[in-house]
Amino acid sequence: MYRMRLPPWLLLLLPAFVILLAVVAIPLVLSFYSSFTAFQLTRPETITKWIGTFNYQKAMGDANFWAAFGRTVLLLTVALNLEMLLGLGLALMVAKVTRGQRLLRTMMMFPMMFSPILVGFQFKFIFNDNVGLLNNALQSLGLTDVAIPWLVDGSLAFFAIVFAEVWTSTSVFAILILAGLFAIPQDPVEAARVDGCTPWQTFRYVTLPFLMPFIYIAMAIRSLDVARAYDIVQVMTAGGPARRTELLWTLIGRTGYVDARMGYANAMGYIAILLSIVFTVYFFRKLTTARTSLGMGD
Amino acid sequence: MKTFAASSVLALVAGLGLATAALADGEFAGITIDAKLIGGQQYEALYARIPEWEAKSGAKVNIVSQKNHFELDKEFKADIASGSITWCVGSNHSSFSPQYPQLYTDLTPLIPTETVAGFVGANIAAATLDGKLVMLPRAQFDVSALYYQKSLYADPAKAEAFKAKYGYDLAVPETWDQVRDQAMFFADPPNFYGTQYAGKEEGITGRFYEMVVADGGKMFNDDFSPAFNSPEGKMALQWFVDLYKAGAVPPGTTNYLWDDLGNGFASGTIALNLDWPGWSGFFNDPAASKASGNVGVAPAPKGAAGVRTGWSGFHGFSVTEACPNKEAAASLVDFLTNEDSQTLESAAGPLPTRTAVWDKVIAAAASDPYKSEVLAAFQETAKTAFPVPKTPYWIEASNLIYPELQAAILGDKTVDEALQAASDAVDGLMRENGVY
Repeated sequence: MYRMRLPPWLLLLLPAFVILLAVVAIPLVLSFYSSFTAFQLTRPETITKWIGTFNYQKAMGDANFWAAFGRTVLLLTVALNLEMLLGLGLALMVAKVTRGQRLLRTMMMFPMMFSPILVGFQFKFIFNDNVGLLNNALQSLGLTDVAIPWLVDGSLAFFAIVFAEVWTSTSVFAILILAGLFAIPQDPVEAARVDGCTPWQTFRYVTLPFLMPFIYIAMAIRSLDVARAYDIVQVMTAGGPARRTELLWTLIGRTGYVDARMGYANAMGYIAILLSIVFTVYFFRKLTTARTSLGMGD
Repeated sequence: MKTFAASSVLALVAGLGLATAALADGEFAGITIDAKLIGGQQYEALYARIPEWEAKSGAKVNIVSQKNHFELDKEFKADIASGSITWCVGSNHSSFSPQYPQLYTDLTPLIPTETVAGFVGANIAAATLDGKLVMLPRAQFDVSALYYQKSLYADPAKAEAFKAKYGYDLAVPETWDQVRDQAMFFADPPNFYGTQYAGKEEGITGRFYEMVVADGGKMFNDDFSPAFNSPEGKMALQWFVDLYKAGAVPPGTTNYLWDDLGNGFASGTIALNLDWPGWSGFFNDPAASKASGNVGVAPAPKGAAGVRTGWSGFHGFSVTEACPNKEAAASLVDFLTNEDSQTLESAAGPLPTRTAVWDKVIAAAASDPYKSEVLAAFQETAKTAFPVPKTPYWIEASNLIYPELQAAILGDKTVDEALQAASDAVDGLMRENGVY
């Protein structure tokens, strides 16, 4: 009797395939399918109610959805660049420290250890217009005599959210760039000094190109994070007031879980994923270019 | 004949209340009731009574989830969607319950008629959806009355200045127009504000809803088409807009929900505050509130139609349709909402939903002037209180309405534009769901 024998490589990979199928592929296919249905959480039978591309057409024609999309892109751009600049500065300073560097590195990671929900509450309290720390400090110092509506005014609320995001995640950049700084071969740096380069020129033309692959990796990771920004914003402003801070995932989260319209929420989610794909592809291309220019191959 | 006999037995059982009221020792021995209950310090005292029911019934209660109502709501929806309703008793709320028409069973055949008759009629009416009694209310009845700082009304200089400006005597407001005048008069931003209001999610929609009713309008027509884009709706929204524009409310009020409002009044920086009964103890607690000793409570003011605002809600317990032991589950629900349970809960401040417990609470508070004042104000307001419209789309409609209300309050849109946009969106929602 013939007994089928799987090749050993397939046998070894099979558990991974099964797990990936169960935890990634099936939910993905199911959610994609449900985006073409009128699926409502409170009416499970609606998952079979096929409505074609209605949800996608509705999202595409919804000005609120596109406003949230644009705001998410803006948050991504501003937060990522600020985190990169601050993280770079922090890493360069910490790299110069000779005593207590380990302690500093640990301290630098503290904000990352906080749950985003906690960070949201913390900054919600700090930026509260009436009893918040910031307004009270500004008023006590005589710098203002009005209650600044940090979480109400569109620009100020955006700033407050960016501030919270930057506070919690700058260390992602700092830690990765610091790792990059430790990995830089010292020969080119010393050669630049011998050739009379100024510290700025050494940094700009020797150190920074070596750091760029690390920066792009951090950018790719954080772009995925920020494109999914939800917890901090949900706690601080819940996307409001008057949709002024509405991001993709506060809108999608509310549609799916509060309004229970999971089919429509999934359709919006799949359009939103395009954003993550575009940014990831962009940063990986930049990463490849940076590595190639350093002679690190593909 | 067989059917007749069976129904006669059922009627007898229901009539005598054997299923719940007269719980026999060990009647439900060996049964385990899984429950998903609202969690939080103020709700725990009641759960401490559960072992008493376990000892009497012989059943066990397994609390599988304890979260706030917003989180429970999401969990219930996920359970419904995944078909995993493996639990029997759930905390419910009058604002949320219309969303789950198939989740909970009708308690009418499980709870004796005289037990149901012991509850405040309006609460039972609000707990009945499409003829099904979906929950028994616990002693967590919520309606809002007006908290105010008493000292503001004892200052002759203020009284004189107010009369000179507005032409009538300064007294605790009885109408929302008076609240507007007084809030503007008392405001001294950024140190002191005339009033505040919940500014987002169901908080602002609910406040707007009750103001529309108080002004003589309605939120929905009988077919649930939106009715708030009306002269009364515009008058109601204008009230919120006027106060915001005048700086009489904190500039962040559009982001405030209940905790922000409670802490705001307790910080002593708010003159008038429409709020829930659960805050009464906190506001007068010297350790927690700068307003303590200076807090007065009055019934909710009236709108242009002479009707008090009275958006109300209450917590309750329900039994799932999928529960295999509905009698035992209903017995637990009965126990958690019986007179002893409600007396225990309401001793800490929350309002009861049983008539007899109201009487007890009022008698117990007789020697405490503040408590008596609180109870009198809330009892008066409760007389004309009304629940949220009974549509499964209330929360979803609220999510479409509140950003537009905020847009008007913040000046992004005019009142007319905002209400038109909200009305169009709700109309679309109702049509998309085949409501009409």
